[in-house]
Amino acid sequence: MSAWTEGSGDAALVEAARDGDRAAFGLLYDRYARMVHGVLLARAPYSDVDDLVQDVFLLALRRLPSLRDPNSFGAWIAAIARNRAHDFHRRSREDVELTEDVCAQEDLSRAAPEADAASALGAIRSLPEAYRETLILRLVEGMTGPEIAARTGLTPGSVRVNLHRGMQQLREKLGYGSG
Amino acid sequence: MSKKDISDYLWDGSGEPDPEIQRLESVLGKLGHRGGRPVFPDAVPTARPWWSGLPFGWPLRIASVAAVLAMVFLWFLVRRPKPGLSTASGWEVARLAGAPRVDTRTIERANGRLAPGQTLVTDSRSRADITVAEIGEIEVEPDTRLRLLQSGAARKQLALDRGVIHAFIWAPPGQFVVDTPSATAVDMGCAYTLQVDDSGAGLLRTTLGWVGFKLDGHEAFIPAGAVCATRPGIGPGTPCFEDASPAFRAALARFDFGPAGERASSLDTLLDQSRKRDALTLWHLLGRVDTGDRARVYDRLAALVPPPRAVTREGILRLDQSMLDSWWNELGLGDVSLWRTWERSWSASDHKLR
Repeated sequence: MSAWTEGSGDAALVEAARDGDRAAFGLLYDRYARMVHGVLLARAPYSDVDDLVQDVFLLALRRLPSLRDPNSFGAWIAAIARNRAHDFHRRSREDVELTEDVCAQEDLSRAAPEADAASALGAIRSLPEAYRETLILRLVEGMTGPEIAARTGLTPGSVRVNLHRGMQQLREKLGYGSG
Repeated sequence: MSKKDISDYLWDGSGEPDPEIQRLESVLGKLGHRGGRPVFPDAVPTARPWWSGLPFGWPLRIASVAAVLAMVFLWFLVRRPKPGLSTASGWEVARLAGAPRVDTRTIERANGRLAPGQTLVTDSRSRADITVAEIGEIEVEPDTRLRLLQSGAARKQLALDRGVIHAFIWAPPGQFVVDTPSATAVDMGCAYTLQVDDSGAGLLRTTLGWVGFKLDGHEAFIPAGAVCATRPGIGPGTPCFEDASPAFRAALARFDFGPAGERASSLDTLLDQSRKRDALTLWHLLGRVDTGDRARVYDRLAALVPPPRAVTREGILRLDQSMLDSWWNELGLGDVSLWRTWERSWSASDHKLR
């Protein structure tokens, strides 16, 4: 039976995972999967995100020995996710010339049930990157501001600013009431 | 701050709900992460970078690394091959243990390269790691013999004659292929372990994504958590999930590779013991059972995973490929169109080569 609990610290889980403890790495997955999913969804097509999440965690598992500060696991895996999304687009462009518009306005009709979701997601993706990621973590993944800060390694102040400015721009894009 | 600045609701979900944010949460929440925890491969602890153990701070560590890099660069300038003797092709091979060999050359301190036409061999105490031309990594276990057949932009092909490899591939589906004496494993975006014994029999275990296994039109799709055996002269057996009951797995082994007289009783056990998750196995059995038994497999599979509307019993009984594919997609184990696309491109490129 695993000795790990929800309260176990990241550093202890990372150290154990480095020594081959899969239960510890599984808990890290449970803790960070939503964040990684959101970071990827801000950049990659919805239909590919689940596979990319698995790629990111497997890459992280293999690269865990190179993580210097076990307490910065969140920021580290977020960076891997951003790189993986970048790599995904680079490879996609080798096959098909994908434009930013195509990414922003992807057809979710087959992959997701709501056409509204596609247009809302497209509007968020047209925002500056920092706002895009934070808003997706808040509105899509259901994370709170303090959670986003804790998981991504951003300061609470940065998250607050990103949410505030991002939401303002999103309301304008969606034509929501300004008063 | 006004309501349109940052409300408590936007910050942490507390306070007075904002109807616009609530609407967005309702619409977009459906796209959030839902996947369960995947099966992670055994986490083999890897050596930490050697510089992390240096007993001084980062400025000195960086200086040490720079000095070593400078020496490596100088060594490279002195030792680089003459023009015309290119070593640029091939994949980088790093020694993990013992003394792996590429053809007759032993890999010790410096990394080696595995070029098309060359063979990597590990003895009982050697292990190696191959970096596959920016698309993945392969760990090679002891007592393994692995040949690189080709490393083109569109296709990377190895032959595993014997031994064990762990492949983690992030290439587009269908680009990375491993031949074994009894089947060809085609990566469809995944991590997997492939082993081949001295008789040429093999076993493929997928840990992430899925893998196709094929021989002469006989094919098997192996998703994460599943295994599939293969035998010389027979080809890929029927895949099953590793958490299937021992009785189910034993019956499957008898059905695939046992005496012909045991097939009927093995099929009875398979149908009787199958869970919803074993739809993977039953779908494959549709094309492998005798015609007279196909209806029984259809009925059991339909009870576990109802076929899509366009799929008819009659169509499945005559093994209509598009209906079989549609039903496969209904199982939620991967999109078979990726495999069909790969098959077409593979056939086309083979045709061009001829």
